[in-house]
Amino acid sequence: MAEIKSTSAKEKFIACGTGNKKFEISQPLSERPKVKGKKLDLCIVEEPDGFSYIVWKRKKYQVDILEKNQNKYTIMINGVWYSFTIETPISYKRRKYLEKAAPSSKIERVNAPMPGKILDIMVEENTEIREGDPVVILEAMKMQNEIISHVNGRVKKINIKTNDSVMKDDVILEIERV
Amino acid sequence: MIKSLLVANRGEIAVRIMKTASAMGIETWAIKTSREPNAWYLSHADKIIDISEEFEDIPIFLDVEKLIEITLKNKINAIHPGYGFLAESPFFAERCEQNRIIFIGPSPDAIYKMGNKTIAKQLARKHNVPLLQGSLGTVMNIKEAREVAGMIGYPVILKAAAGGGGRGMRIVEKEGEMEKMFRIAGSEAEKAFNDSSLFIEKYVRNPRHIEFQILGDKIGNIIHLGERECSIQRKHQKLIEESPSPALDEKLRKKMGEAAVNIARSVNYYSAGTVEFLLDDRNNFYFMEMNTRIQVEHPVTEMITGIDLVEWQIRIAMGEELPMSQEDITYKGWAFEFRVNAEDVQAGFSPSLGIIEKISYPKSKNIRIDTGVKQGSIITPYYDSMIAKLIVHGENREKAILYSSNALKKFWIKGLKTTIPFCMAVLANKNFRNGKFDTSFLTTEMKLNIREDPEEEMLAAFFAAYDYARDLKLEEEKCVNFEKGKAITPWLLNKRLKSI
Repeated sequence: MAEIKSTSAKEKFIACGTGNKKFEISQPLSERPKVKGKKLDLCIVEEPDGFSYIVWKRKKYQVDILEKNQNKYTIMINGVWYSFTIETPISYKRRKYLEKAAPSSKIERVNAPMPGKILDIMVEENTEIREGDPVVILEAMKMQNEIISHVNGRVKKINIKTNDSVMKDDVILEIERV
Repeated sequence: MIKSLLVANRGEIAVRIMKTASAMGIETWAIKTSREPNAWYLSHADKIIDISEEFEDIPIFLDVEKLIEITLKNKINAIHPGYGFLAESPFFAERCEQNRIIFIGPSPDAIYKMGNKTIAKQLARKHNVPLLQGSLGTVMNIKEAREVAGMIGYPVILKAAAGGGGRGMRIVEKEGEMEKMFRIAGSEAEKAFNDSSLFIEKYVRNPRHIEFQILGDKIGNIIHLGERECSIQRKHQKLIEESPSPALDEKLRKKMGEAAVNIARSVNYYSAGTVEFLLDDRNNFYFMEMNTRIQVEHPVTEMITGIDLVEWQIRIAMGEELPMSQEDITYKGWAFEFRVNAEDVQAGFSPSLGIIEKISYPKSKNIRIDTGVKQGSIITPYYDSMIAKLIVHGENREKAILYSSNALKKFWIKGLKTTIPFCMAVLANKNFRNGKFDTSFLTTEMKLNIREDPEEEMLAAFFAAYDYARDLKLEEEKCVNFEKGKAITPWLLNKRLKSI
């Protein structure tokens, strides 16, 4: 799989993907990267005012940066997107340490999966709900969608009212796990 | 004779209609609106009616009297409504007739009868077309809904009497869900069609969705142009269609085709229309509804029959007789249609609005692209999220799948998330390739909606690191040279200056 391997530990980046996936990429990075002095069959092409693509093993892959915030990236390749955090070996160690140290949160947030309007709220604060229970009805693209809870718990806070408009990823309500 | 034609629609279907009308020597008219004054469809019209400066009380494409007024004022012969908007409004068709404007579509009577699901079912019953058990008319309240559902047995489906397109439609698995679902379906129907009345039907679990293309003239000739397989759907919204269907053989095609023609005949249907059926796993089929318009997925039928449906809609409207009989219709090869929508399939198909920064289509003689956008077009929340329809033809299903996969790989869009990776993932699915699928395909076979490719993910990781490294380098270049060639950042310099 990951054939782009590090030559020296100091000069590398670690791209952390979802589900603890780890990609080690050696420096220096260029459009035509080398591994152990050998050129890879890989080339990045960025057309001015056009598409960006990677040529890998004589195949073209359309790539695009969808989001970028400091070292956090969302990259789209052939229409599919993946999220990464780019770390240096030192910051990677720190990240691992923090992950171990942080206590797992008991608060679960229910986010709006798409922009839309809240038509109905089916729960009240301090009520117990179970996984799969509908919490709100969200109207988007003229369709009504049931937003369901993905955990068992107690509704801690409701952040919206009926007829509110929400954006994608807005926190609709918070549930305390039980 | 039709000399001029107003297309009372927008987007890809407006382009599609104007292309054929222009080829027939008809002058085409389009409407420029304030919501999308730079839309691509406008560039295909001979004449443009500009209302972009006017205040629109309701969208022009839904404004019957305004459309009649501008048609008369500009002395235009005919109106093509496309699909959606006023395409299935019997009132609009009638207002056209009253004003001696040729409406490209069926009679107001046929639109009315097929648009009213209760009447449509009565007609089907009368003509011995198989139907699903259900309420005889609309159900008034939850109590009545419970009684009817109890009689025919759960699961049942609630449908808007005036509906279509999946809106106002809800499945009820057990009695306990009836109250909630009745409320949701009713309010959805009220919003979408201004009519909250619902009816109940027995729900067939995991059927196939098969529809037949109908063509009829004003003399009374009615034929069908074969079926379309539309089982790849999400929440009743079609995503991939094909023709023919891998589920039908010649015998079943003949039987269902005859039933479809009978339905059309019951309302003296003329123009193009579509009869929708559900097909269960034992090849029993049930009439669902008739759509009295051109369908989004009509190109797959055109690809395998070689018949231009819009051309025949116009010819029939002018009173021409169909020169071909049922025996003359032959099917060549296999065709797929992929709906490329601006949707994020990895986030539950949520709309991905924005600007098309760059677009590049696959090109080949067996590929057809129907689109209403170009580079720089904006996908707005006002209309649907369709970017384009990719239609691919092959000598057989296997070849058509192969050509489609290659075409999807060459279909590049920058600036938006699209359904292209979803379409690729469906084509890679074994059961889909074997033709073994039904309307449950998305929920049972497509857990991820995309196909994760470790190699692609690795390349994406590399690209992110490459961009990050480049940014770091730019940052370093900004540094001030200080202290015997040692680089120092302006930030640190500032701090040091302060502490002096």
